[in-house]
Amino acid sequence: MADNTCGSAVDVRGLTRTFGTRKALDDVSFQLEAGSFLSIFGPNGAGKTTLVKVLTTLMTPSKGKASVCGLDVVEDAVKLRERIGLISHNPLLYPDLSAEENLMFFAEMYCISKPTERVRELLTAVELDHRRMDLVRTFSRGMLQRLSIARSLLHRPDVLFLDEPYSGLDPHAVEIFDSLMKQIRQDHTFIMISHDLAKGLELCSHALILSRGKIVLSLPKEQIDENEFAATFRATVGTGVA
Amino acid sequence: MKLVKTGIVLLVIGGLLTTAAFVMAFTTAEVQRHSSTITLPEKPDTVFQAIAHTDDGFVYPRPWFSQKIFYFHVPVGLASFLVFGVAAFFSIRFLMTRRREYDTKSRIAMETTLIFVVLTMITGVLWTRAAWGVWWQWEPRLTTYFIMTLMIIAYFVLRNSIEDEERRAVYAAAYSCIAVVNAPISFAVTRLIPSASHPVVDEGAMAISNLIPFLVAIAGMLMVGFAIYVARMTEERLGERLAALKEKFESGS
Amino acid sequence: MSAPNQATAISQRSLSWRQFKAILRKDIVMELRTKEMITTMSIYSLLTMVIYQVALSQAGTGFDPRNIAAGLLWLAFVFTSMLGLNRSLVHEKDQGCLEALLLSPIDRPVIFFAKMVGNLIFLLIVQVLTIPVFGFLFLQQGSYAGELWMIPLVLLGGSLGIAGVGTLLATMSVNTKGKDFVLAVLFVPLMYPLLMACVSATTVAVLGGVDSEQQFWSAMGMIAIYDVVMIAAAYALYEFVIGA
Repeated sequence: MADNTCGSAVDVRGLTRTFGTRKALDDVSFQLEAGSFLSIFGPNGAGKTTLVKVLTTLMTPSKGKASVCGLDVVEDAVKLRERIGLISHNPLLYPDLSAEENLMFFAEMYCISKPTERVRELLTAVELDHRRMDLVRTFSRGMLQRLSIARSLLHRPDVLFLDEPYSGLDPHAVEIFDSLMKQIRQDHTFIMISHDLAKGLELCSHALILSRGKIVLSLPKEQIDENEFAATFRATVGTGVA
Repeated sequence: MKLVKTGIVLLVIGGLLTTAAFVMAFTTAEVQRHSSTITLPEKPDTVFQAIAHTDDGFVYPRPWFSQKIFYFHVPVGLASFLVFGVAAFFSIRFLMTRRREYDTKSRIAMETTLIFVVLTMITGVLWTRAAWGVWWQWEPRLTTYFIMTLMIIAYFVLRNSIEDEERRAVYAAAYSCIAVVNAPISFAVTRLIPSASHPVVDEGAMAISNLIPFLVAIAGMLMVGFAIYVARMTEERLGERLAALKEKFESGS
Repeated sequence: MSAPNQATAISQRSLSWRQFKAILRKDIVMELRTKEMITTMSIYSLLTMVIYQVALSQAGTGFDPRNIAAGLLWLAFVFTSMLGLNRSLVHEKDQGCLEALLLSPIDRPVIFFAKMVGNLIFLLIVQVLTIPVFGFLFLQQGSYAGELWMIPLVLLGGSLGIAGVGTLLATMSVNTKGKDFVLAVLFVPLMYPLLMACVSATTVAVLGGVDSEQQFWSAMGMIAIYDVVMIAAAYALYEFVIGA
């Protein structure tokens, strides 16, 4: 936490993750500048989730190096966890706790100073202040996702990972989610796994397609021709895991 | 391929040695002199006649059959502890390195352990019947060994109930690490609790004609065990190569 | 160089303590709200009592249930605790909360100890509720020759082992296909030495006897060894298991 600015937010070099003969990730390399938005596409089993798991320190790479915010995912794992957040399609919240209790719990996990104020502030930001005493069990899918954003922002992370955050959201919830994303877009680096090509390309500043653990295509947004990109994407889906 | 040859050679030698031990046990081995009787508190249901009746109970000669089975029961039992230890060793190696080959090795060692444990159980039950006049007795060695058998079965139940390959490997390794604690306890329990009716094998006190078939049987069993291990390992390797080739073929086409 | 390291070590410890308390508090709050574990475990143990009645119904009048009281009690505890252990990990797993927990800068052993202590508390509550019922139903006639101060000690020692090993095994079994069955298959053989010692110590506490105190302490010694060895092993293996 000495410096809050990251030069190269994500630096992945020759990342390989194998188990036996199966290669979940095969020599993946890319760099990402702070403040950019990377969308990762690919068929099921292409290694998207594995890549995010390695970058969020939940898995260790078999070969190669990866660092996020200049912190190595293996050596500085604990420090790195303070700098990243995850918004998943799963809310990752306890249904039998209230919204406030959930956030307070995760605030304690991150050992945030002045947790009460921070939780209040975030609940207001995601417009759930009026429901803060209600059990998460009673929340709609959209509200869960908003609360999930609040949870991931608790510790002011620099890099946010999004794991198919739009799946299961109704159009209204997508709208609210989008407007929230716009608010936090400026101060964070994003890495998003997505199935939705249109949504992923709209948000991103950089996109890549993974297939069978390898990067098939990696382009900054300016160079992306949507039709061509879609064709490549469909081709990988065709050759996906048997 | 070299390993396969070693496996076949070991299987042949191991089989020959075990057979030799079998023949020796019934021909050259003299009936053991030490602890040649057993005292039971009450008259069991057995074909053997009691030779005396003391204050402690009925004194029986150690029957001939139970002495012969000793040459198989003890080596196979020893081998089961040893192979279990090997399986646990590979489990620890796996947790340290996360390489799948160690998981495969550990699993195959566990399979071999299961075979040996079942053989030990069968010979043991026969022995118990012949020597103690009962099929089963809840005595410390038998109980701890029974628990060990259950743990090894549990290991395979655990493996079969997990889909994800890597998670399966990690959990199985963790379980075998914690289960192996029972092996030395089961091994040492006859020495720790001397009152137990399960006899303690004292190699030093054995007659030469007893010791030779005993050692030959141990060597034979271990070789057979290693041959089983090699055979299964080769099968796994071939399977893996086939899977890799299939994948290559599919992605190429 | 060493001074700041020391400072971070101390602060890390206080942070871990804060995280430990938070997980424990969360488990207790959730349990108080849903009363899931306590009610299912208590009802289950009551059902076990009914089964015992059936099992002992033909035992005749000369039969003294005190002789097997300890065994029956621990049998009930083992089966109810498996039920509770499974529950305690299922709600971590359900919404993927465990992943969120693992993403936070928490030392993995902190999760282990927090879950273990939570399970220990719930086990002890159920045991304290079960014992009077068991005594009322089965041990009315006949005097207690033993010393009752021994019982809480055995309960604590036994539950500690059950909670320690159980937390590790339940963390594994929630990720398997047949959750409850797999837990039982893994749990019972590993529990054997502990149960043996607990039953022996509890029997001494109920029946008394000539050198009951010496027997009791030797059984307690076994319980202590089991707890130390198994909790140490579970602690060492937890990081691997929870990360997989």
